[in-house]
Amino acid sequence: MPRLLSPLACVLALGSLPALAKPGTSHPTLAPAQRTRFQTLQATRVSQVRTQMLADRSRLGLGSRDGFAVQSAFTNTQGEAVVRLRQTYDGYRVWGAQSIAHVLPDGSIRAEEGGLQSGISLEGAPRLSGQDASKVALKALAPKGKLDQAPQVEQVVFPARFLGGLATKLDPSTGRPVLDRALTVYAKLAEPFVWAYEVRVHLQNDLDGARDLVYVVDAKTGNILRANDISQRLTGVTPATGTGNGYFRGTVSLNTSQMADGTYALYDTTRGTLPNPNLQYYTPDGSGWSATGMQVWWEEHDGSGNPTWNSYLFQSNPTNTWGDGQPWGQLWGQEGEINGQTSGVDAMSAMATTWDFYTKVFGRNGLDGLGTTPFAQVLSTTYTNPDAAWWSVGSFGVYLGAGTYPANPTGHLSMTDLDVVAHELTHGVTSPNWSQFWVNSPGYEEAGIDEGTSDFFAQMVKAYANRPSGADTTVPATGADWEIGAGVNRGTPIRWMDKPSKDGRSMDGWFDGIQYMDGHYSAGPMNRALYFLSQGASSTQGDDHYSPYLPMGMTGIGNDEAARIWFKAVTEYLIPDGSGGITFAQAREAAIASAQDLYGTGSTEDIAVQSAFSAVNVGLAPGQAPRVSVRFAPWRNGDYIETNHFSDYSNRQIFPKGQTVIPRITVENASDTAVTWSIGGPSMYRGSDYSVEEGGVINPDGSWTTPNEMAWHSISATSKADPTQFAEGRVFLIDMDTDMDLEPDAVDMAGIAYSWYLSNALNPAHSVLEAPWVDDGDVSFFVDAMRSTWPAN
Amino acid sequence: MRKPLLTLPVLFLGLSLACGGGSGSGSTASPATPAKSFSYQDPTTTGWRLVKDASSTPTRLVLDLVGPSGLKTRGAGFNLVAPKGVHFGTFPSANPVPDLGAPDFPINDTGVYELKNTDNTGDPLEPVLLSGGVKPGNKLTVGIFQKDRRASAKDSGVPLCQIALELDPTAKLSAGESLSLQVVKAKYIAEDIGAFSPTPTVEMVAKAKPVDFTLAVGQLTTK
Repeated sequence: MPRLLSPLACVLALGSLPALAKPGTSHPTLAPAQRTRFQTLQATRVSQVRTQMLADRSRLGLGSRDGFAVQSAFTNTQGEAVVRLRQTYDGYRVWGAQSIAHVLPDGSIRAEEGGLQSGISLEGAPRLSGQDASKVALKALAPKGKLDQAPQVEQVVFPARFLGGLATKLDPSTGRPVLDRALTVYAKLAEPFVWAYEVRVHLQNDLDGARDLVYVVDAKTGNILRANDISQRLTGVTPATGTGNGYFRGTVSLNTSQMADGTYALYDTTRGTLPNPNLQYYTPDGSGWSATGMQVWWEEHDGSGNPTWNSYLFQSNPTNTWGDGQPWGQLWGQEGEINGQTSGVDAMSAMATTWDFYTKVFGRNGLDGLGTTPFAQVLSTTYTNPDAAWWSVGSFGVYLGAGTYPANPTGHLSMTDLDVVAHELTHGVTSPNWSQFWVNSPGYEEAGIDEGTSDFFAQMVKAYANRPSGADTTVPATGADWEIGAGVNRGTPIRWMDKPSKDGRSMDGWFDGIQYMDGHYSAGPMNRALYFLSQGASSTQGDDHYSPYLPMGMTGIGNDEAARIWFKAVTEYLIPDGSGGITFAQAREAAIASAQDLYGTGSTEDIAVQSAFSAVNVGLAPGQAPRVSVRFAPWRNGDYIETNHFSDYSNRQIFPKGQTVIPRITVENASDTAVTWSIGGPSMYRGSDYSVEEGGVINPDGSWTTPNEMAWHSISATSKADPTQFAEGRVFLIDMDTDMDLEPDAVDMAGIAYSWYLSNALNPAHSVLEAPWVDDGDVSFFVDAMRSTWPAN
Repeated sequence: MRKPLLTLPVLFLGLSLACGGGSGSGSTASPATPAKSFSYQDPTTTGWRLVKDASSTPTRLVLDLVGPSGLKTRGAGFNLVAPKGVHFGTFPSANPVPDLGAPDFPINDTGVYELKNTDNTGDPLEPVLLSGGVKPGNKLTVGIFQKDRRASAKDSGVPLCQIALELDPTAKLSAGESLSLQVVKAKYIAEDIGAFSPTPTVEMVAKAKPVDFTLAVGQLTTK
């Protein structure tokens, strides 16, 4: 069995260096000159980290075939070299296994090792080629249109604990959820590690729309082991300064370029030193344009607003004055003209402010720390909903919707306001490349942390935009309104950070099951915690800024310190590894570690972080008594289902459809452990989660008569002792009646036996998933459901 | 992929109910003496039957499922209803999941059937078709089946699996009471399930139907 290493941070000592990192010792922000001194040491320190980690393999439970590859490194504002390492085996990346090491100014090394995988033992070579794996992925994906880019394929070692599971989608003909075969994983793994290929596909055409997908394909069997949709939703030029008339930003000065023909373009060669990975596929037209340098494009439509699927750089402007300052008037066919330019001005200005924020406040090279060029495409109706915006991980660019107002009276304006753009560009900070993406989809708490992070830094950029002249390296104390989307929504915010539940959908506090919500709404606790951290919480009950989890309230530490703590947490302590595993509890730990690192253990900032997270039901503030805890606990203790589908099934239950069952729940810190059961939960807002059902009846004795529907179902449990504590869980209802005698019982296992591991089931009824094949998944689900439903005696 | 819920399979024709006499929880004329143990007389038939295992104790009756000698099968399952006062016992599970609240199984594997993948994956957690539970009405349902059709069928004339009955002290049964055990469903998988092919054949589809069998139960009384 694979062994997960302890997630505790560990201090490594370099033999020739004098001191170990002392927990609780703060490391203040350095002046630029001092920081430069440490930057010159970065290459040496990266090498030291790698050498030390290799020497320490035995302690880490690793062998001689395990190694480390440096994924990225930078020197932070405290003079610490931050080195992100990927674990390798025989030189191949171990999927999802990473470590982050800090080399402190005194030369000592501190490493986070919890993400490493020990016990790998693989012999031989993959039976399939990378090309074979690519074919498997494309067969599963079945794109309707042409691929502009060939899939990227990388041989990896895949840990069985990351096996995917059931995925569902909406059947447009019936409106009911059905299995999503493109993303559902039925494979099993008998070995804890296998050779595999990671296949990354970027789709962008008029038949498929724009999507980024990652498949992991077993290099021996060709089975798909995991599938993730990770879509998150222009030489020879002279730098110039233009004047922009934006709608949201008013009249602004813009960095533009004078092109080879003497005209101007919304093309800023002062920001971005590496080419954009998507724009590289476009052919230079002789104007001087290249894929390096921040830029804004517009999307072309015909006179009726139908997309032509062409897009163009804002260019050929002879005056270098852009826009008319008026909202987009839906002048289709004139997107590149003066009214359309207004959206380009707002986007360009917002991008520049965001870029400068990350560069000047945190010393980061652009968004991804490498200086990669981002781009924006405005007035989009194709790659994003017109009333939305989308950051494309694969394109490293943002698609900003055209808005549907006024044609749609409740629609939005052009999605180019500062907070929208800064939010999206922040995804470029937190998901800097394809092999280190944040999983931003329901099912993972990480989605809410990711969206909350983007909301928070959008506020910080908003404050930064209003900074006094010359104050470029700090975040002003004022200027944030803690509202998201009020501009594009014509005055009414889309989200409130101070009290997220004002939108009627977001949550003010964490609960077990929040991961099932859309990340924009599960962001609520993250947003509120960061608001409290900066601005404080009220002790007056009924106040918008009062939290029942922290009735005594708290004092905020201001924007600048809050921003530095959280930036350090997301760039130095949290490890997005593609598995979606980051939780709110880990976010709290990362923030505390950052605060202690920046300001010292027990500092005002340290305590403020603990209080702010406590105020959203994540952890406790110093001195607080434990709260009642209601959880769908990960109780499987390493059984077959957990081992083979760890991320999906650890705390989920399997029951037969159409039977009376007693769901399981864990209540702690309460003498009265009774709960009130209910159907559905916050994730089922207006039935919005089409992949899950609400159904059945809760009986007076607390049992649940399940509906006759094979699907994922949502149920919730609320503590009777403390009604503020509740949990929403997932239950999969299976069809145990394989012999169709209308009585699910142990005799039904015969059906499974008849069809087990045939390429096609002899009878579809033999599958408890009503799938056309039967395997150990059916066996384990059946036995699990029987054990959970009917007692042994 | 929906199942035709209204397609009722032919069931029960060929099933016998409990043999071995008894007419439910009977009454006796003499003053009641509290029951302290079981007495069980094996069926006299040579077909499918539940026979007393030597590991039984006065208060825990372990019954072996035994089939006709010479009949090769790939697994069997049955449902058994017990009267009030009879509690089904458990056996330690081979793959315990303590936190699921059901640490033990109501069925015990005697090792005759080959439950795992014949490819011998070596996975200690590999799931097998061995399960059971007690449904409302004190109805025990148990089953044990070979999941891999490449494994050979096994002679059924030996103990294939075990169940256990225990005296429920809270039921206050009297000594000498005759207790009726009713078999309401019993099926096995025959040896001939068609020539193996990884892709289904018409022959395999036609033979993918478990066979009903008559399960004889002995006479159970209290002492």
